[in-house]
Amino acid sequence: MQVFIAQVINGLSLGSIYVLLVTGFNLLLLVAMIIHFAYPQVVVFSMYIAWVVLRYTNNNILLAVLAAIASSVILNVISAPLFQKIMSNREEVDINTTMVLSLGIGMIITDVLSHGFNKGLPIAFPSTLVGETPILRVGLISLLGGQVASLAVGIVAVSGIFLLLYKTRPGRAFRAIAEDPNGARLVGIPLLRTGLESYALSGILGGLIAVLLAMLLGYSSPGLGEQVAHKVLAVSIIAGLGNLAGGLVVGLALGILEALVQGYISGSWSNAIAFVVMLLVMLFKPRGLFGIKL
Amino acid sequence: MSLALYYFLSITAIYILMSWGLYLPYRVAHLHFLTVANMLISGYLAGYMVQSLGLPFVVALLAGFVAGGLLGYIVSLFIGDAPTFTVVIVGFTFIYISRTAVENIKAVGATMGMFGLPTIAATPVMHRWTILIILYALVLVVGFLIYRFEHSRLGRAASVVFVDKDLATSMGVDIKRLGRLLQTFSSLVAGGCGVMYGFMYRSFHLDFFTFHLVGIFMTVIFVGGYSTMWGTVIAAPALYGLSLILPPQVASWRIVIYGSILIAVLVLKPEGFITRRFAHRLETTLSRRRKR
Amino acid sequence: MIKKLLSFLAVLLFIASILGAGGQQESAAGGEGEVVIEEWEIPFLNSLTGAIASIGEYLQWGAERAAEEINEAGGIAGVPVKVVGVDTALEPQKGVVEMGKIVEYALVALGPVPEPVIMAAAPIAVENEMMTMTATTSLEYAEQFFPWSISWFPKTADRLPPLATEWADMEGVKNVVQFVGIYGPWPGMAAAHVDGLKAAGATHVGDVEVPQDAVTFGPLVVKALDMDPDGIIIACWPDKAAKIVQELKNRGWTDMNKILLFSSADDAALYTTGGSDLDGTIIYNYINVDQTNPRWTAFKDAYAADHNGLQPPSLSTNYYDAVYMIKRAIEETGVTGDPKKLKEERKLIAEAMLDMKSFEGLLFNWDMSGGVPTNKPTYLFEIQDGKKKLVKEIRP
Repeated sequence: MQVFIAQVINGLSLGSIYVLLVTGFNLLLLVAMIIHFAYPQVVVFSMYIAWVVLRYTNNNILLAVLAAIASSVILNVISAPLFQKIMSNREEVDINTTMVLSLGIGMIITDVLSHGFNKGLPIAFPSTLVGETPILRVGLISLLGGQVASLAVGIVAVSGIFLLLYKTRPGRAFRAIAEDPNGARLVGIPLLRTGLESYALSGILGGLIAVLLAMLLGYSSPGLGEQVAHKVLAVSIIAGLGNLAGGLVVGLALGILEALVQGYISGSWSNAIAFVVMLLVMLFKPRGLFGIKL
Repeated sequence: MSLALYYFLSITAIYILMSWGLYLPYRVAHLHFLTVANMLISGYLAGYMVQSLGLPFVVALLAGFVAGGLLGYIVSLFIGDAPTFTVVIVGFTFIYISRTAVENIKAVGATMGMFGLPTIAATPVMHRWTILIILYALVLVVGFLIYRFEHSRLGRAASVVFVDKDLATSMGVDIKRLGRLLQTFSSLVAGGCGVMYGFMYRSFHLDFFTFHLVGIFMTVIFVGGYSTMWGTVIAAPALYGLSLILPPQVASWRIVIYGSILIAVLVLKPEGFITRRFAHRLETTLSRRRKR
Repeated sequence: MIKKLLSFLAVLLFIASILGAGGQQESAAGGEGEVVIEEWEIPFLNSLTGAIASIGEYLQWGAERAAEEINEAGGIAGVPVKVVGVDTALEPQKGVVEMGKIVEYALVALGPVPEPVIMAAAPIAVENEMMTMTATTSLEYAEQFFPWSISWFPKTADRLPPLATEWADMEGVKNVVQFVGIYGPWPGMAAAHVDGLKAAGATHVGDVEVPQDAVTFGPLVVKALDMDPDGIIIACWPDKAAKIVQELKNRGWTDMNKILLFSSADDAALYTTGGSDLDGTIIYNYINVDQTNPRWTAFKDAYAADHNGLQPPSLSTNYYDAVYMIKRAIEETGVTGDPKKLKEERKLIAEAMLDMKSFEGLLFNWDMSGGVPTNKPTYLFEIQDGKKKLVKEIRP
């Protein structure tokens, strides 16, 4: 029983990674209609920026957080015109192209990280950020501060973004310009400013996610974004594109499934089994378990 | 013929065929990544048949085509008319499953790989020429079939499905059947490519078939042009050749260059370099010149 | 349609014509046995970009260092040597084209690196009867290409068990769980560890497979600890090995000596990821960094100067020694570098290397027998403050 509980906690920890990334992914989908396949790579880039700041400021966590947020915002705002240009051709070009564009962005980010930071080696975050001592340890069950924080923030982020997008005026404005820019302009929503705000918001979230992942994982590497990108896309699709609550549930469920497969069956089969399960879900529920929310 | 030239031509042919394998289902807006899994499965199957069972290469090649086509057909029964992202997930799933399965099967070398596949002709030189001839025969045959498809009712139906599925349905297009056809054909082609890929190297290793290949073929399609088959024919040798002729200092930033090319094309020329309009204009010009 | 295909062929030929130009050495007429070239050019098929670029970098560094030293001492048979890095970016499709160019002119090649590129490109060297020195892969890969390759390592099943036996005896472990990365020769190495444990009277309780894209290690470590081991062997990627050690510590593992890391984990990524959490763990490898000989001291100092004070990784000496082995082979056989005699001189070089005796490596001497090294030592180290301290040397 202890092992099972330990694995479920491990699964929640792994799942919270997916939840955080899927939430940011879904936010971009909701405010800009972008399938940002490389969103995990953007987050990993912010992790690297945070690491650089920590190195040169003697582990000043606040500055690192601000730097991560700033880098994520800048990357999002820089890429915004590229996505907007493609979206403006939507009559001729289908939405898959945003996914392909983000693929190109992801390739560039991963290669820049391989070349330009730490000679392409993985980076480790200081123990002050990660937390050395578990806050709870009973036999095989162990809980670190970072794990609790990332799960808690993941839930808060999903709730907060849901409230923002569906219960506030700015949130409705974001969704309006994503769904119908012309209609939004007609009702007086300032497109440029609102558009930039929406990208900046997802950038802020991306920066926060970067710091949380740093706390949770304690390390990063150039290939980390690519390693999780497939699963983030899959979670979003299984849950229902744009479905924030669905992303939370499916992300955690996938994490638990993977942990249980690794713990009880085999590590090498965990990806295959996880994807088979997701595939079976897709075959019976092609619009996702909880429905598309675009 | 120099070896460098031989490998350039062979791999270019594989890139063209595999990119066409992605291009065809994308005519109905399906990103059919199952083709990479088809490459892997058919390749290893053929390698096993030749090396362990002692069967002739021709039999193994046919088996590779059949295995690819069969798998593509069976999967297409479920996803022939599925949403784009379902097809994407299916592709990823089969790539993971096939890689994991091969890792655990000692008979095909598991993680070590399969070494020393025999030549398919009497001498290494004849082996290379045979590979090249088979590959370019495939390019011609598949190219011809795709050309005929493009200029048929099916091709026009696919164009309508790409733009508006509901319109296509109301016009009587059987989307599921069309999707099934395109997916099965692309998987069949991919199966054959997998066999040729391994016999070209005379070995198989799991790292010959990675998600990286998905990125390469997608870049070829989108840079070359996804609305006509000719874009792939230009982009495949150009992009592969680019990586070979860049000077070393620049070559280390190759991936950044590819990513930038992809982004630039998507933003500035969203349909790619060779658009349908361009291809049509070229065809019209050439046929006018022919009449004169 | 024919015209379109012809245009396509024209594009192909254009690019192919650029590729067709291979590197040809300038040569002058010379007397019999006299070197006729102005420079020995040794191509090194390496992964200078891509996922293992950091490894490729220090392999290249080692080979170029050897070339520098040789040139300062007067070259090979009086002629300077140059190691030319040829990047394959870990892509077999690039490796085969580059090897295709290399076999048109080179006497001998270094690499390829790593296994997927070896498998694709080495057969080309074999077909052209050119020695290609795959100095970073296991014998089980290299022997597929004998006699046109040599191995830097003895048979895994002979080399590794004594290490595991020694460690198990030293630490008194009785029940061992192994973390195994599913890649290349590592499952075979893991099996060899198990043989060693048996010889020490220890029980191999089970293996925990580490997937290549694992990002958290809690589930794997819990699975391992549930088997109630008193010893752990880790045979997977360096950064993942470090994370597993950290996870073990988080779950209460305190006796760090009872964790054994395998040689392929001994890479900069292990130390940058694991930091002080690795202190006390045992690792095995094939060079002893604390040895004192002038050549090695100079090598170490130069490496540290170029790499922010880091110790040279174990593999960094392999291609350094490979270049010296080429030097000795050339000087012993008296090859001239004459392109007209390429085939026969390649054969002479290969034969000289396959059974070379008393080769003076950077750190120790060894003999080659049929392309397989004999009497190479292996070492057990304890990691402290990011450095390895020698615990025991094991000679076959």
